[in-house]
Amino acid sequence: MTSLSSPSMAVEADAFPVWSARSLRGRLSRQFALQTLVGLSIVCSAVYLVIAFTLASRQDEALKQKQVAVQRLLNEARELHDIPGIKHLLDDFLAGHDDLSLIVRQRDSVLVFEKDAADRQEAMSKRMAFEVKLPDELGGVGQAELIQDTRRDEALLSRLLWTLVTAALGGTFAVSVTGFRLVKKGLDPLNVLAAQTAGLDASLMDQRLDATGQAEEVLPLLQQFNALLDRLQAAHAQMETFNTDVAHELNNPLSILIGTCEVALRRPRPVAELREVLSSNLEELQRIAGIVADMLFLSNAERGASARRSQETCLSIVVEEVVDYYEAVFEEAGLRVEIRGDALVSVDIGLVRRAVSNLLSNAARYATRNSVISVWIGRAGRHHFSIGVHNEGPVIEPEHLPRLFDRFYRTDQSRTNADRNHGLGLAIVAAIARMHGGAAEAASSSRGTLVQFTIKRPDPVGAATAAGAMSEEDRSHVKSTDGAKR
Amino acid sequence: MEQVAAMKLLVIEDEAKAAAYLRKGLTEEGYTVEVADNGVDGLHLAVSNDYDLIILDWMLPGIDGTAILAALRRTRIVPVLMLTARGQIEDRVRGLQGGADDYLVKPFAFSELVARIQVLLRRAGGWREATDASQFRVADLEVDLVRRRATRAGQRLELTPKEFSLLGLLLRRQGHVLSRTEIAGQVWDMNFDSETNVVEVAVRRLRSKLDQPFDRPLLHTVRGVGYVLEERSE
Repeated sequence: MTSLSSPSMAVEADAFPVWSARSLRGRLSRQFALQTLVGLSIVCSAVYLVIAFTLASRQDEALKQKQVAVQRLLNEARELHDIPGIKHLLDDFLAGHDDLSLIVRQRDSVLVFEKDAADRQEAMSKRMAFEVKLPDELGGVGQAELIQDTRRDEALLSRLLWTLVTAALGGTFAVSVTGFRLVKKGLDPLNVLAAQTAGLDASLMDQRLDATGQAEEVLPLLQQFNALLDRLQAAHAQMETFNTDVAHELNNPLSILIGTCEVALRRPRPVAELREVLSSNLEELQRIAGIVADMLFLSNAERGASARRSQETCLSIVVEEVVDYYEAVFEEAGLRVEIRGDALVSVDIGLVRRAVSNLLSNAARYATRNSVISVWIGRAGRHHFSIGVHNEGPVIEPEHLPRLFDRFYRTDQSRTNADRNHGLGLAIVAAIARMHGGAAEAASSSRGTLVQFTIKRPDPVGAATAAGAMSEEDRSHVKSTDGAKR
Repeated sequence: MEQVAAMKLLVIEDEAKAAAYLRKGLTEEGYTVEVADNGVDGLHLAVSNDYDLIILDWMLPGIDGTAILAALRRTRIVPVLMLTARGQIEDRVRGLQGGADDYLVKPFAFSELVARIQVLLRRAGGWREATDASQFRVADLEVDLVRRRATRAGQRLELTPKEFSLLGLLLRRQGHVLSRTEIAGQVWDMNFDSETNVVEVAVRRLRSKLDQPFDRPLLHTVRGVGYVLEERSE
């Protein structure tokens, strides 16, 4: 919790290397740039291709028009039988077109007419060959070739290409820069959150993150975080109450001890009186020791100790043994006990005995005189067995039921029974249930109160015998070496 | 009660107050007690002297209980009773595997310690306690555990089986105070400190049959400690 209060969190977020693979900003910016590049490249390529195609087809069309014109011209000139006139006509025709060359040859390749043909580079020109009719003097039929100089178009295309490439790269750069900025801006709420989180004081459990002005996408995280804080606060509060309860529980006997010792020592007293004080103190001390032992048991259970299960046992036999133990108490209170049902399951017998003992003790405490206490053994769902103890007696209000298993919880706030019952019995029942993979629950109505706990059937492989297991059995093992047993 | 000779015990315990009360209490129980307040001295004493039993604290400065136990077990076979503050099972198991014969979790009742010492000594000595007998006579109380017959001043006492077991336990250990926990463990096999007053009720019921009809009570309550059966002079 203390690490929460480190003020460097917001700074750290900024200092995080942007180009690292794990930086959201770097990753998003890079992806933006890449996508922009791809998009612009497609657009530019399309523009370039369309224009290049248009230019090429326009050149073809122009050549075709010129071809028709040359053919018509030569056809008309055929009647004139004037060779120099033909050349002149052709020269006139070509006069306005600097980018057009024409070669006319007789069928036997004798050159009839040529203009500008020499300097036309192959690559930068478009040629079109066709047949023409020539005057009979020149053989009647000949070959003509039109050469269109395309250098201007090529230059246009090359300029266009450069412009487009530059535009694409520039656009990409511009988009990635703005993207980078936008992402940074978009992630600002996270920095604000980090700063807010850093500002939370671990000791003030009621602080929450402020959701106002936060982006919709961040809200779920924020709400979950606040919900977590709620749960932590509840747990913290419970622990605080618990600590207070422990202190209170121990305070009572301690103040009695201190007081009686002090008073006893103030004056000289007869031995019998001192003995009386010591005896009474011993009782108080044993009460404290009992509380501490139970607390240790609970804390061990809380830290995940699991039951050490033995061979499969008839639960009814275990229950019977504990009922036997309570025989005198029940008889004095005029209570009769019925055991119903049975189950064969491997459990930590010592722990189950203890749980049943606590349940019976609880039932005996609240049962109506001369009534029946029934112990129910049965199945609870597919994987669990349950042991429940039912007694007739005062109805427990529903709001108290779930809290019955809290440590030191007593429905009657008075501590009149406190000398023997220190309010950990049912908490221990719940802990023993948890150690067996089960849970404890209580129900109460005008017909009586049922408190029961469940035991999970162990996994086929004896996984429950793992280290950290805790048992009463080893204690009894050592004890049973005492030859004086029964 | 019927100690054959003064048994020699070594207590290795670093806490002065604890060592002092152990020495006092055990000496009064009839044992010869030596105390070492650290592990090194303790180990030295343990290997260079013959003790009937060693009481060893688990947590010691310098050299801890497990190490002492390991070193001791190389040369000596002497019963060792471990005292551990931690109630964790791992420690208990390690202690027993490491060669301790028994353990007690702090805080423990002194009467419990005495009982455990007696068991260990009896086991080590191989002699059977005279009180393993089945017939007892205390003042005007006569009990035959085998035939399950108890009479006082010639009057037959009608006891339930559990009351009989309880009486048997008190008789076998007469003169020794038995704690509630010990009684619950011995008579009912319930080995946990419960919040219940079962033992008190059971003792009260036994007392109502055993003592109430007669002049002199035999079953006494030692407040804060437990119960003892003995004949007390007025």
